[in-house]
Amino acid sequence: MIPPKIYIGTSGWSYKDWVPNFYPCQQSSTFDFLKYYSGYFNTVEVNSTYYTYINPQIVEGWINKVEEKDEFLFTIKLHQDFTHKRKYNKDNIKSVKLILDKLSNAERLSGLLIQFPYSFMLNKENANHIKALIDTFPEYEKYIEVRHKSWYIERFFNFLKENRSALCTIDQPEIGQAVSFNPVIAGDTAYIRFHGRNEEAWTNSIKSSGQEQTYEQRSERYNYLYTPAEIIDAGLRIKEILNAVKKVLIYYNNHPKGNAAANAFELINFLIGSDVIKIPETILKAFPRLSNKNK
Amino acid sequence: MKTIFHLDMDAFFVSVERILDPSLMGKPVIVGGDPNGRGIAAACSYETRKYGVQSGMPARTAYRLCPNALFIHGHGKEYGRYSKLVKKFLDGYFSVVQQASIDEFSLDFTGCETIYGDALSFAKRIQSEIFNLFKLPCSIGIASNKTLAKIASDFNKPMGVTYVPAGKEKEFLAPLPIEKIPGIGKKLLPLLRTRGFRIVSDIADTSPDYLAAILGKFGLDLWEKANGRGNDLVVVEHERKSISKETTFDTDLVDKAKIESILFDLTAKACQLLRDENFQSSTISIKLRYSDFVTITRAKTVKNTDDDKVVYDTAVDLFRKAYTRRVGVRLIGIHLSKLSSFGEQEVLFADENVIRKRMLRAVMKIRGKYGYNSIHIGKN
Repeated sequence: MIPPKIYIGTSGWSYKDWVPNFYPCQQSSTFDFLKYYSGYFNTVEVNSTYYTYINPQIVEGWINKVEEKDEFLFTIKLHQDFTHKRKYNKDNIKSVKLILDKLSNAERLSGLLIQFPYSFMLNKENANHIKALIDTFPEYEKYIEVRHKSWYIERFFNFLKENRSALCTIDQPEIGQAVSFNPVIAGDTAYIRFHGRNEEAWTNSIKSSGQEQTYEQRSERYNYLYTPAEIIDAGLRIKEILNAVKKVLIYYNNHPKGNAAANAFELINFLIGSDVIKIPETILKAFPRLSNKNK
Repeated sequence: MKTIFHLDMDAFFVSVERILDPSLMGKPVIVGGDPNGRGIAAACSYETRKYGVQSGMPARTAYRLCPNALFIHGHGKEYGRYSKLVKKFLDGYFSVVQQASIDEFSLDFTGCETIYGDALSFAKRIQSEIFNLFKLPCSIGIASNKTLAKIASDFNKPMGVTYVPAGKEKEFLAPLPIEKIPGIGKKLLPLLRTRGFRIVSDIADTSPDYLAAILGKFGLDLWEKANGRGNDLVVVEHERKSISKETTFDTDLVDKAKIESILFDLTAKACQLLRDENFQSSTISIKLRYSDFVTITRAKTVKNTDDDKVVYDTAVDLFRKAYTRRVGVRLIGIHLSKLSSFGEQEVLFADENVIRKRMLRAVMKIRGKYGYNSIHIGKN
C-alpha cells in the first residue's frame, strides 16, 4: 500500500495581519508573501476567486513565484455566482476555466472547490444544481463542500465518486444542522477544511448574513486557535482514513493573526513528523508552544 | 487470579499546561489556587515536591514551601479534552476501561498476554505510546486487584511501571506507610497513628475485629486492603446514576445550625452539578455519620426537581428526623438519585416555578463562566 500524498496549507496567504506572526516585520524590497509562504507549505487554497474573477496574468505571476518548488498546488474556490447567487453565463464559465487551465498546464492545480451555503440541503432542485456544476467542469478534480447533514448519505457519496469529485470534510462549530468533524471518504482524495470553533462569532455571523460587512467583521468567526488536544484529536481521525485514499488536502481557514499557519504546522508535525518540518522563527516566537515540537 | 493495570497520569494538569506553554518545562509549577488567597493546589510539578508541596494542599501553604513556583489558574476544558483522548487511546487496546477520575484508569489485562505479550513489557509500551502521541507522562501499576494496582502505580512516579506478582502482595505492601492505602486521608491518618499504626504491616498483622471495633465496616475493608486483597472488577462506566456531595468535618460537630448550613452548601453544589448535566432528580437522600462511625441514611421521593430550595427543604427535614443521638457528627452528605433528563417543554406549563427555573439556569451560566463562588442563592 503506497501512503497517500499529504498536502497541508492554509486558506489564502495574503493577509496583512500575518505580520509579524508569520511574515517577518523586516521585509526587503523583493520580499513576496507567496514566495515566503511556499517555502513552508506545499499547497494553498485560493479564496479570492470566490469574490472576484481573477486576471489570468496575476495567476501567471503566482506560477512564476512558486517556480523553485518541486511540488506546490493551488486549489481554486469557485465564484459565488455559481454556488450562492446561481446566476452565471458562458463568460463566467470561460473566465474560471481560463485560470484553471493556466494552473493545470503548469501542473500547479489541485482542483476546484465548490462550496455551498450552510442552508443548502438535499432536495431535487439542489441535487440538480450540483450535477449541473459538476458537468460544467468535467476536466478538473472537484471538491464539494456541503454543510447540511442531509447530504451525508451513501448515494450522494457514490455519485461524487463516479463524477471525479470528492466530498469536503469540514470542522466548524457544531451549530444547528451543521455536520460535526468526521472525515468521510468519497473518491480517491480526502479534502479537509478547518474553519475554527469560534461558536459565538459564528452564530452572530449567521444572524447578520446578507448584510454588508467589513473585513474584520467577516474574519471574526474564523478567529480561533485550535488547541493541541484538538489538533491531536483531528490528526488521529485523519490517520484512520489515510490508507483509504491516494491524496489528502488539508487547509486551515482560521486565518486571523496567522493562527491558521500555526495550526497547520502543528498538524504537519503530528501527521508527517517533526524531522521533516521547517518552522519559521516568526511562528515560534508568536506561538511558543510549537517550539518543543521543532526539536 | 486477575491482572489489573492502574494507569495514573503524572502531574496531569501540569503536563497539559506544559503542552500549552512549553516554557513551563523543567520549572516548578502549581496549578490552581491563588498564592495569597484561598484555594487548593490542584496539581503540582515534581520540581515542587522536593520542597514538600503536595497536590490538594492549600495554595497558601504551597507558596510558603516553594515561593519560586509559578502559580497558574489552569485550563479545565483542556484537561477534559486530553483525558478523553487518553481514554479513546486505551479503548483501542482494552475491552474494559474504567475511568476512575480525570487522570486515572483501571484496565483489565487478564488473558491478554496471548495477544499483547507479558504484562510488564506491554505496560511499558502503552506508557511510551501515550508519551509519544500526547506528550503526557504516566505511571502504571500492575497487580491482582484494583486497590493494589493503584498503590503500585504510585510507587515509582513519574514514568514508572511497577509490577506486583501474584502471591507477593503482602510482601510488597508491608513496609509502605499506611497513608499509601487509598481511603486513609488527613482525617483518618492521625487517628490510626495514635493507635500505633505506622506501616501497612501494622494493619495487616492486627486483628480485623479490632479495626472493626474502631472504624466499623471501613475497618474491615482496610484490613483486607492491607493484606493485599481488594476489588478486581473493572467495570465500564455507564451514564451517571446519581450525584453525591459529602464532607467530613475537621472536628466532630454538635451544633445543629452549623451542620444545616453545611448541608445547604452541599445541596447547592449537588444541584449545580445536576443542572450542569441537564438532569432532574426525584429521590433525595442524606447520609449522616456519627463520631463513632455509626452511619445513617434517609431518603424521600419527590417530584422531579433541580431546584436548590426543594432539595434543601427535603434534605433538612430528613436530617432533623435522623439526628436523634446526642453524639457528635463526623460526616454529612447529600445524595440525589433517580435522575432523568430535564425536558425544556415543561416550560409550556408555565407557572411561578418557571421564573425560578429560569433564575437557576442564569445562575448556572454565571457559575460556568466565573466559577462556583461567583454567585450564591440565599437560604430563605
